[in-house]
Amino acid sequence: MDNAAADFGIDLTVDITDVVCPITFVKAKVALEDLTDGQVASIRMNDGEPVQNVPRSVKEEGHKILKLLDNRDGTYSLIVRKVG
Amino acid sequence: MNIIVSGVKKEYPEGLTVQSLIEAENVEAQMYVTVSVNEEFVKNAEFADTVLSENDSVEFLYFMGGGI
Amino acid sequence: MSSFSNEQLERYSRHIILREVGVKGQDRLLKARVLIIGAGGLGAPAAMYLAAAGVGVLGIADADAVELSNLQRQIIHGTPDIGKPKAESARASMERINPEIKVNAYQTYVSAANVMDLMADYDFVIDGTDNFAAKFLINDACVIARKPFSHAGIIRFQGQLFTYVPGNGPCYRCIFDSPPPPDAVPTCSQAGVIGAMGGVIGSLQAMEAVKFITGAGNLLTGSLLTCDALRMEFRKVRLHRRRECQVCGDRPSITAPFDYAAPVCDIAP
Repeated sequence: MDNAAADFGIDLTVDITDVVCPITFVKAKVALEDLTDGQVASIRMNDGEPVQNVPRSVKEEGHKILKLLDNRDGTYSLIVRKVG
Repeated sequence: MNIIVSGVKKEYPEGLTVQSLIEAENVEAQMYVTVSVNEEFVKNAEFADTVLSENDSVEFLYFMGGGI
Repeated sequence: MSSFSNEQLERYSRHIILREVGVKGQDRLLKARVLIIGAGGLGAPAAMYLAAAGVGVLGIADADAVELSNLQRQIIHGTPDIGKPKAESARASMERINPEIKVNAYQTYVSAANVMDLMADYDFVIDGTDNFAAKFLINDACVIARKPFSHAGIIRFQGQLFTYVPGNGPCYRCIFDSPPPPDAVPTCSQAGVIGAMGGVIGSLQAMEAVKFITGAGNLLTGSLLTCDALRMEFRKVRLHRRRECQVCGDRPSITAPFDYAAPVCDIAP
């Protein structure tokens, strides 16, 4: 993950694989609120429900999704640029 | 003429005063009701002298003292 | 990372998810201080929702003890609480809902002598009292202290409320100049009230407090919201500040809170 994610200049890495909906999104949202406009977060989440819902919710908040990386271990890393 | 009473359009004769509307509408505890016409309060002492016009919007506001 | 614990993130997740609240709004709630006057039909739901919402410091003032006839609507108290001071019984319920918050219980009647001190430490006041003397006292004190508050009244199947913010719309005295004489208008003990009416209107008071604290949306200032549950009609009546108002007008004659004669109850409450 780190090799692929390195291209984006990650400012903050968050792991939400230890929680379930809706805390997944809550943790992602809290992390993004701590960033300033233009900074980039990498959010690691489980396959399945989190990958289906968290990217959509993050996008609805107005942030820019740069990439969803498959970590090939049952998790994904969502690379998000903070907007606002 | 049309008068809007608590949001409902009603037909009343010309020359209707606030006091006669209160009586016609059977308002509860008439001495203690607050009346607004087109969002402005009308003093109780002026109910009988306040003549309503076409499309005036009248609201009756009642004391509600409960809570406990 | 923000200073929220994982437990807080979970407890307040449904708030934090909301765009209008978020982390900042929840943080404001945790730092806010709200005084609820009256732990009865209106105060019970208001206090419970604000406790659950994580309002950092909640004051609850009530001089009475829990009676059997209260339990039909005052859902913050239970049957085992009969005889206990309402302020203490309410505090126990609020702390059971949310042990994170601080609750100050005031077992006292609110009067001209203590109202200013009582509300001094709070950002927002909820009037959940059951008599006109108290409602006018709270209005006057809040206008004079420039303290935002939520006014409400309920009776039978009806309720009304509005929010006062200094410099923004009318106060209670703009709408009702002075209290009606005793027994001129019915009170709840004489006329009855549906328990859920307190739930409807008291919950709306909690909603106004949450909106005031978080800055979400528009407050119910400049309008009186009335509810007629028999017809299930809500109406928002737009009103303006009265320039001749005795307390918030251009030349106020009331410059300090004062007590009207205590209400005389003709039958047991």
